[in-house]
Amino acid sequence: MAAPVLRAGVVSVSRAAAGRRSILSAAYVDSSKWDEREKEVHSLAELATLMDRTYERNLPVSSLTISRFIDNISSREELDQAEYYLYKFRHSPNCWYLRDWTIHSWIRQCFKYGAQDKALYTLKNKVQYGVFPDNFTFNILLDYFIKSENYEDAMSVVSEIMLQESFDDFSTQLLSLYVLYQYLATKSEFTWEEERNLGASLLLTGLKQTNTVGFSSQLYGYTFLGKVELNKGLRAVYHQMPLMWTPGYLNRALQVMDSVASLPGDVKICKEAIDVLETILQSVPEVKTDPEPSEEVEGKPKQTESEETEQSKLPVYLTQFKNLYSKLHSLDKVESESLLTLTTQLVKEKLPACEVEDIAKHEQKLKEWEQEQALLMEREKEMRKKAKQEQEARKLAKAST
Amino acid sequence: MARPFTGKRLPVLAWEDARRESRLFALLCQRPLFGLGRVVTRKAWLWQYEEPCYWLITRVRVDYTAENLDHGKAWGYLTFRGKTYNEVKEIDKVMYHDWRMVPKHEEECFKKFTPVSVEIIQYVPYPPLLRAMILAQRQKEGKLDTQEPLIDLEKIIIFTNDYFKNQKKAKGTPV
Repeated sequence: MAAPVLRAGVVSVSRAAAGRRSILSAAYVDSSKWDEREKEVHSLAELATLMDRTYERNLPVSSLTISRFIDNISSREELDQAEYYLYKFRHSPNCWYLRDWTIHSWIRQCFKYGAQDKALYTLKNKVQYGVFPDNFTFNILLDYFIKSENYEDAMSVVSEIMLQESFDDFSTQLLSLYVLYQYLATKSEFTWEEERNLGASLLLTGLKQTNTVGFSSQLYGYTFLGKVELNKGLRAVYHQMPLMWTPGYLNRALQVMDSVASLPGDVKICKEAIDVLETILQSVPEVKTDPEPSEEVEGKPKQTESEETEQSKLPVYLTQFKNLYSKLHSLDKVESESLLTLTTQLVKEKLPACEVEDIAKHEQKLKEWEQEQALLMEREKEMRKKAKQEQEARKLAKAST
Repeated sequence: MARPFTGKRLPVLAWEDARRESRLFALLCQRPLFGLGRVVTRKAWLWQYEEPCYWLITRVRVDYTAENLDHGKAWGYLTFRGKTYNEVKEIDKVMYHDWRMVPKHEEECFKKFTPVSVEIIQYVPYPPLLRAMILAQRQKEGKLDTQEPLIDLEKIIIFTNDYFKNQKKAKGTPV
């Protein structure tokens, strides 16, 4: 147990010295504390037969059983079995009671046995598996994908966080922003779904922050969403997304610029985001003539109405944008550095402090989970006692008659 | 457009909505803890009323036999046209393709509502002929009451059968 931890510690220290690759420190990601906690040792075969019998009799399986199963995984094949039992649990009457620590333990076990793609798969199909991780677990996932420079998968994790709307921790926000800007740097052409996901994630992370990166992300997010709104209609923007259904996303982008211009202090907006907004405001009138003949007449009058009003407002937006841009320029609030460098800077400055906080919070959470687990086990024991007593009483009654 | 289990067709007016919107649990199954504590609205309310109408979800019971866990029952606090009711009620019309979830960052803005004070009118003047009859009756009886006769809208008047039978016939014309 000690040797692999030391090795991991040494490796990541050297990586941190190299500078780029690791984002989170070793203390955050290392799983020694998690592995050291008291675990009950059960045989997986026993638990599996117990669960199968309970499902056959249509009785609910307790959340303790599934958590014990996941804790006691010891090989890659057993991970697949655990996946099956997670699916069954989700489709049982107790699906609401899948515990946080079970989900955390599942992700940790996936990482331990090298099945990160399986973890990602269960996360993407969270409806079928019930995998809704908390912020700490999301951070670990993101860190792994950042370390392996797999920005596509990291982007899908960020989309999942966005769909769950859990950008509450500062560390999660920083990591997600880093991933988003790296992903934007790698690819230049996106499908409209990717643009929509990017826009929503940028927006939701940006809304939580009040610095240059935050406001620029908000602007960038609104711009992407405005582009999708113009090309595909408002419904495409808000359907199955945590976004508002009122039209006018480009208008909101301009309002962000306005609010930054009127805010005191050192907050600026990056030129990158402003350039993107400018290109969209200027380029879309060319595309306007194309979608009309190819659009299916499925009778979506409201949608085409909102599109038309948006497109007709474009020249108005353009003039407003030019005014606001000149205002920002005169107030010297235009940042010329790229967003990626700004984000990396911010990450380097703020992340260590956040990490310490997060680790403390996580340890507290571990204690709470242990307490809850102890309570549940006590309750289970009491229920078993009662069931035994009742059985004995029934036997006595039968024997006496 | 047909229901998935029985295969029966949905009513015509619902076809458009079934394509565009989603059922409540189709939204809830994608959230942690099935969207407890979240605010949900109906598109029909959005189109019909200016004031905010929404449900705040407090309890969820999912139908675990559904493949995508997108059916079930839910309970919560209703706020209809700005007025919040303090009782936990079962959410009605859960299976309608009509629901939208309010994003967390927009919840405050959505719930904002300044109630317009409603004037309750209690006294209303009588119609002219009836007013003339009342004044004429007062004059006959000799009451020198110059107060305008007014109908009290809050008063509950119950007429029994005997009231009309016992009314004596007045002398002369009513007015």
